[in-house]
Amino acid sequence: MNRAPSRSVTPDSGNLESTTFNSGAARGITSADALASGSGLLHTEAMTLNVGPQHPSTHGVLRLVVELEGERVTKVSPVVGYLHSGFEKTMENRTYLQNFTYAPRMDYLHGLAYEFAYALSVEKLVGAVVPPRAQTIRIMLNELNRIASHTVFFASGLLDLGAITPFFYAFRDREAILDLLEMVTGYRMNYGYFRVGGVARDLPEGFEARLREYLGVVDHSVDELRRLFEKNPIFVDRAVGVGVLKPEVALNLGITGANLRASGVDLDFRKAAPYGGYETYDFRAPLGQAGDCFDRFAVRFEEITESAKIIRQALDRLEPGPIKDPNRKISPPPREELETSMEAVIHHFKLFTEGYHPTVGESYVPTESVRGELGCYIVSDGGSMPYRVKWRSPSFVNLQALPVIGVGGLFADLITCIASLDPVLGDVDR
Amino acid sequence: MDSLLGRAVGLAEQAGFAVGQLASGATVITAPAAVFKDYLGALLGVGFSMLTDIVGIDYLTYTQKTPARFAVVYRLVSPTPFEGLHVKVFLNDEQSIPTVTDLFGSADFLEREVFDLFGIIFDDHPNLRKILTPEDLDGHALRKDFPLGESPTLFREGRFIDPAAFRAGLTGQDPGLTGFRGGNRRGFSDDRAPLTGRLDQPVNADNGGAK
Repeated sequence: MNRAPSRSVTPDSGNLESTTFNSGAARGITSADALASGSGLLHTEAMTLNVGPQHPSTHGVLRLVVELEGERVTKVSPVVGYLHSGFEKTMENRTYLQNFTYAPRMDYLHGLAYEFAYALSVEKLVGAVVPPRAQTIRIMLNELNRIASHTVFFASGLLDLGAITPFFYAFRDREAILDLLEMVTGYRMNYGYFRVGGVARDLPEGFEARLREYLGVVDHSVDELRRLFEKNPIFVDRAVGVGVLKPEVALNLGITGANLRASGVDLDFRKAAPYGGYETYDFRAPLGQAGDCFDRFAVRFEEITESAKIIRQALDRLEPGPIKDPNRKISPPPREELETSMEAVIHHFKLFTEGYHPTVGESYVPTESVRGELGCYIVSDGGSMPYRVKWRSPSFVNLQALPVIGVGGLFADLITCIASLDPVLGDVDR
Repeated sequence: MDSLLGRAVGLAEQAGFAVGQLASGATVITAPAAVFKDYLGALLGVGFSMLTDIVGIDYLTYTQKTPARFAVVYRLVSPTPFEGLHVKVFLNDEQSIPTVTDLFGSADFLEREVFDLFGIIFDDHPNLRKILTPEDLDGHALRKDFPLGESPTLFREGRFIDPAAFRAGLTGQDPGLTGFRGGNRRGFSDDRAPLTGRLDQPVNADNGGAK
């Protein structure tokens, strides 16, 4: 589709033809020239368009400098950094315990994955042992959070394509999960619930019943959501064959997570390098074939069902027991001990003023966030604060696929591509 | 050892690189800056087809002795069969290293990030610009000699608390806890216009608000 070269359309110039001739004359082009040119009456030229950073379809503050030829995209340059908050520098100046406050704030949709990655990495440094109940709780909540993030992906992704109904269905489901997470952690987002060697507190009374209630309806609501997108002819037209990411290109660009699996590469860190007890759960990592936008949506859809499967297994093996490493050098003593034991008071005081000192060394544990490989590279100098914290944030690397898959299609397809990559800008900029 | 990792370690030992382990058990190979790129190329040929992360580290105030001030750690991953390893390169101040963007496309953003936050130059990078911090920010924020960005707490009439001076004051070494900007300090409400009228009386619109 061609477009008129000038946007200075006067309100009274109603039809397209007169607009074209007017603007042609303004540019010194006579109507005869316009008629003689190959493209007919309409004149096209390369155009640079700035998208964002404040635009609903950019999922936060992503800015794109797009070069267009007519309505075809010829070049996409992402500009990031608008949300850079110096998390890594901040975390280098806080104790290991305090950093649980910062971890979930980067990827605010799947915060528990960040806490998980951070906890695992520090646990390797201090040698903490996580009791079975804490492991089960971690995996259960992490997967619940994964589903919540996927529902936001559907809601906002389909909203970008103009479908508003799925938004309400998806957010209804998300609300149910956030209520559950709020019951346990006290927060709807930015949980700060994991600790080195376990979790902060035990599950509240009535949580398991509420969770079973949710698990009873999740399949139905997934079905409902599926019907809203899979058979929707408008969505199918806009997503099938759009933004194809070939597996070799995806590997070269370091793409991970559902975006990579949609291209048919089987890499899920929960399976490839199991952590935190994932090796004992029965689930599969859904794979796509075409690597187009539709597959990226479909793969994430399957993942909801798989996550629900993990949660059911976790719920069944939940048994009473400790939720923290009993080592008093890492975990604070229970409240009642403080009244009777001087040692407990000292441990409590030392833990919350100074914290613990991991051994000198470096540690990295890759985990599977909802967006891909997430890990925390920690350098410890033996002090109570990490010497260096580096987040391998999946969205940051995944965003590099955009200049590849967004080029060559229509501008509207670029919006589909952004939505299908599921970037979280807090995760990109950190 | 004929696993992927075994072959990678074999290549490293052949070249005489140090092979170690992180606390998490992952293999880390320390390669000299001059030849690490050839090694990464060899790993790519062996099957480590993904570069998923580049970590910059500034060892300026580290408690242990390190060969050089900076280190750049490349994380390589082979998706199927899964293997992962780290390649560490030590760099001195002002020393640059070759880019690996020609081997791995993902190095584009990752190297820009390390350049932005540590000021390490990647030679021949196609687009080595800042990526995360604002364009007008001087310096490289994750270097250990870059100050923590504490901003003074501002009050009315130009009074402010400068964090560094505040802490100095707490030690008793320095008398000044707070500073003032813009002339002498005056009485707290001297320069504010006094409230006229009473707030509980409605303003009469007919006479222009006068009582």
